[in-house]
Amino acid sequence: MSQGGGFRKGLGIAYRLGTELLVATMLGAAMGYALDRAIGSEPWFLVAGILLGGAAGCLNVFRAFQEIVQEEDQEEKERTKERDD
Amino acid sequence: MENPLHHFELHPLVHLTLLGFDISINKAILAMWAGLAAVFILFMIVVRGGLSLVPGKIQSLGEISVDFIRDMVNEYIGADGMKFFPFIATLFFFILACNLVGLIPGSYTLTSQLAVTGAFAGAIFILTLIVGFARHGLHFLSILVPPGIPKVLIPLMVPIEIISQLARPISLSVRLFANMTAGHTVLGVLFALATATALWIGWMPFGFTILINGLEMFIAFIQAYIFTTLTCVYIGDVIKLH
Repeated sequence: MSQGGGFRKGLGIAYRLGTELLVATMLGAAMGYALDRAIGSEPWFLVAGILLGGAAGCLNVFRAFQEIVQEEDQEEKERTKERDD
Repeated sequence: MENPLHHFELHPLVHLTLLGFDISINKAILAMWAGLAAVFILFMIVVRGGLSLVPGKIQSLGEISVDFIRDMVNEYIGADGMKFFPFIATLFFFILACNLVGLIPGSYTLTSQLAVTGAFAGAIFILTLIVGFARHGLHFLSILVPPGIPKVLIPLMVPIEIISQLARPISLSVRLFANMTAGHTVLGVLFALATATALWIGWMPFGFTILINGLEMFIAFIQAYIFTTLTCVYIGDVIKLH
């Protein structure tokens, strides 16, 4: 892949990871809050929801990062193969 | 100074109702039609012009863009990916065209409406659910249990996985909507500054609007690219199931 492709990929990653963490935490909090309102157990599910949501966000970011590392490894292999040929 | 969010407001231009639903035509719908027409006309020119072995300028553009999406589909979904190629390609060109049409002064950015991006992301989420259940049956639910975790952790991991799966369509829609809205708000503020001040200082924010407009053009491409890449990733995830 050319240099421009690398730049595009990098920007893609930057835009992707930022929202991932935020949205998962917010979603966890919202689900916890809704559960609290339904059962009337404020504020325990909200607390649990924020923690679980944060964990889910970290998991999403970690997975995205793993994918990126794998891609880079593959590209590196291809590059060394080309060099050897 | 004018409210920089003012130009995101939609007012019906033609009042229409169908079976009790309000289907009034507003600026956003006109912008959507313009985007659709742009994509349609571009590819009509490519195909009608006669495909030659040695491609001309427009044919090269069409071939490169289609090739680019095909590579993306092959990379993230795998061998079965070509079934989803028409959908992914349509999504990419439509979002790209809507983003770019929005940059024409006086027009409207369809993708700055959360309702639109949310509808896209919701449809993609439902599509992944359908594909997952059709392929794996009830075994698809094992996507909620990451491979290789101890049994003790399952009650903890399942809620986390549910949240992380549900967060995907939301982050997909919010990312596109927020980036387009933010860019156009910056443009709005800079233009307001340019018109509010005297010429001897007003040229500066005006110059910035030109720079930011260039940046926005780049972001239009990047955001369409990210949206379609992530769609491919999500579809690939449910097909491969870990």
